[in-house]
Amino acid sequence: MNADHTWRPRLASRARLKFDPIAQQEMLLFPEAALALNETGAAIVRLCDGAHSIDEIVDQLSKKYDNADRDALMREVMDFLATIRARGLLQ
Amino acid sequence: MTTTPRPYTLVAELTYRCPLRCVYCSNPVDFHRSRSELSTGEWRRVFSQAAELGVMQLHLSGGEPVLREDLVELIQHARANDLYTNLITGGTLLDEDKLRRFRDAGLDHIQLSIQGAARESAETIAGVGSHQKKLDVAQLIRKIGFPLTLNVVIHRLNIVEVPELITLALELGADRLELANTQFYAWAAENRRALMPTREDYDRAEEIARAAIAKYRGTLEIPFVHNDYLSGEPKPCMGGWGRSYMCINPTGAVMPCHAAAVIPGLVFESIRDNSLEKIWRDSPAMNAFRGDDWMMEPCRSCERKTIDFGGCRCQAFMLAGNAAEADPICRLSPHHGIVESMRKDSAADDPLIYRDAKSSRALSRS
Repeated sequence: MNADHTWRPRLASRARLKFDPIAQQEMLLFPEAALALNETGAAIVRLCDGAHSIDEIVDQLSKKYDNADRDALMREVMDFLATIRARGLLQ
Repeated sequence: MTTTPRPYTLVAELTYRCPLRCVYCSNPVDFHRSRSELSTGEWRRVFSQAAELGVMQLHLSGGEPVLREDLVELIQHARANDLYTNLITGGTLLDEDKLRRFRDAGLDHIQLSIQGAARESAETIAGVGSHQKKLDVAQLIRKIGFPLTLNVVIHRLNIVEVPELITLALELGADRLELANTQFYAWAAENRRALMPTREDYDRAEEIARAAIAKYRGTLEIPFVHNDYLSGEPKPCMGGWGRSYMCINPTGAVMPCHAAAVIPGLVFESIRDNSLEKIWRDSPAMNAFRGDDWMMEPCRSCERKTIDFGGCRCQAFMLAGNAAEADPICRLSPHHGIVESMRKDSAADDPLIYRDAKSSRALSRS
């Protein structure tokens, strides 16, 4: 997937985040299934509100992880978004 | 004893009452005997205990769950426990006001059943006039902003409508279209000959669905639930008996799946008598087919036993007479011949038995 830097991803209305107190991790819940997320995945999902562009999402993440390589983060964000988009979890 | 698995999904069958009479209904054939539904307080306690056990997904099902006067309160309580809450409904009793109240209570998702794309075949299956009302309700659900799964049980009478069903789901703006081929338990088992599709129709429907799944990936999700008689693949029994899934019936009996009551000798404990945690962990019925110690050959030494868990325990009982046998759907089962003859046993002129109290009494007289 090419990085369209103006794209402002928004989580589909049927998906929501839930912290699983038993496994101590964030889960993305949607009908009949769930994805276990790592910390970065959960941080990306929180920014998928239709207001943040891809560049802004990467900016926020690189601030959060202050030693992060921006290109690597961009790749991680795009890969993650491609995965959840293929499952119909972005609007 | 290994550690108890963690449940992820709870199906709460709030009632067996239903205005529809669908000939494939998965409720027990003797549902008319069911008395004294759980109270609001009992269901609230169950939802809290389920969340503590690790349940993430809650399906409010029936019968028709909208018949429960306390549904708004139950949705609120489920969401207060952060359960992903799905309403499984026939839709005929819904209106805009109810849907708004469900939304305000926090309902996450609605799964609406329709019986076909064409009014005539749909109402032949539902046994009551309902098709247009369901289409109107589907539009209301979308208008109010709920994510929508359209669920269609597929069988001989509507299997040729799969292309029209896909078009309908797209027109209605559904998020998901579940093409659920009939599973032959309960009322569907009583109507098996009338509902079994022909090999040609089944293969064509599967091919059309496969193409649509690829075409609409990311916009319309299309789960295609196989007819195991025709696919030949044993179903992985609820992802393993007592492993991640449980069903609680209207009177509080806790079961590994809604069909499990067909297996004789299993006693399903009620949440009226024990905590959900204790029943899930310790009840003999929930432990009856956990793990693989119960398995017989050919399952015991089969490399697929961790994939399909020997197939469906209920079907093993229904077709082979012993719930610990391999599911006869499997080619390796010594009873597989039964399945080979049943899959060809499709009868266009078999009379349909409708799911209602009168038929329930007639079928469970013995």
